[in-house]
Amino acid sequence: MSGGPFRAIGIASTGVTVYRKWLDAVSDNISNLNNATTTAGEAFRERFVIAQAVDYGSGNGGVQVGGIELGSAEGRLVHEPDHPLADENGYVRYPDIDLGSQMSQLMMAQRGYQANLSVVDRAYDAYQAALQLGRNS
Amino acid sequence: MSIQPIGPVAGPLRITAPAGVEAASPGNAAEVFGNLLTQGVDTLQQTQANADALAVQAATGDLQDAHDYMAASTEAALATQMTVAIRDKAVAAFTEIMRLQG
Amino acid sequence: MLDDVASSAVRVALKGLAQRQRVIADNIANVETPRFLAGRVQFEDALRTAVEDGTSPQEVTPEVARSLEPTRENGNNVNLDHETLTHMDTVLRYQTMLKALDSKYSLLRSVIRGGA
Repeated sequence: MSGGPFRAIGIASTGVTVYRKWLDAVSDNISNLNNATTTAGEAFRERFVIAQAVDYGSGNGGVQVGGIELGSAEGRLVHEPDHPLADENGYVRYPDIDLGSQMSQLMMAQRGYQANLSVVDRAYDAYQAALQLGRNS
Repeated sequence: MSIQPIGPVAGPLRITAPAGVEAASPGNAAEVFGNLLTQGVDTLQQTQANADALAVQAATGDLQDAHDYMAASTEAALATQMTVAIRDKAVAAFTEIMRLQG
Repeated sequence: MLDDVASSAVRVALKGLAQRQRVIADNIANVETPRFLAGRVQFEDALRTAVEDGTSPQEVTPEVARSLEPTRENGNNVNLDHETLTHMDTVLRYQTMLKALDSKYSLLRSVIRGGA
């Protein structure tokens, strides 16, 4: 759906895709929030979806995922001597992901997803009306 | 509740006999009909011009109320249909008269 | 066919509003894209001037510009509320213009077809 007479729907669908990928990344981050690893291993790295305008300035390019960036593998060390993965000093490694930030990202992504879906809805109505042109009586 | 009698239909194209002419006599029938047609065409032009003016306003984003345009364009459509109907009746009458003479 | 001022103005408006729809879709798709400036489509002023001056509205072409409103921290200035409302307005106006063109065609059709 790169061009054609119903382009507005195609543009909005690029938005739907990007925000869905962002939602996926956020849910990935949240579900791995409490993954403990040994201090020798890497912590789960936070996923960042990079949004990038397609054909910026043309006004009909839409958006795409320009890339995924990964956060720090260092995480944070927590003193939990009872943890099965704890090292000799009683430390385990947790990802350094802030739940509050993830929740606000979740809301932003969800809002973007819904906004793009409602653009599809409204554009559909407009194009339907265009297809009725001249059919009146 | 009082029941009102059904009144005359007030359409966009109000065709009334010119003042002073109550019933058409055979002598002036043609004139009366001619006046009706002229009036009809004048009204048609007015309603179409009005609908056009409102359509331009809608195009430039200056239209205040959508219903104004919808009403105007419907009136233009009705006036056109009315005039066309009168034209068709006139042509039919003419054909009928020619047939009687032939 | 139908090259009167009103029909031409309506066609220009349809073109401009269709493009505005695409640009709004683009703005909403990029509501969180860093450094994205909202696009704006302008054609009303040029169209009004053309109609007032009696020049042909057919020459009017919609123009796309970038919004200079203040940006958020990420350099983006798309306002989702504004875009959503403008989109609704644009769709309704687009449908009104379609109706206008349609009624023009209907007038012609009823004259051709007669009262039958």
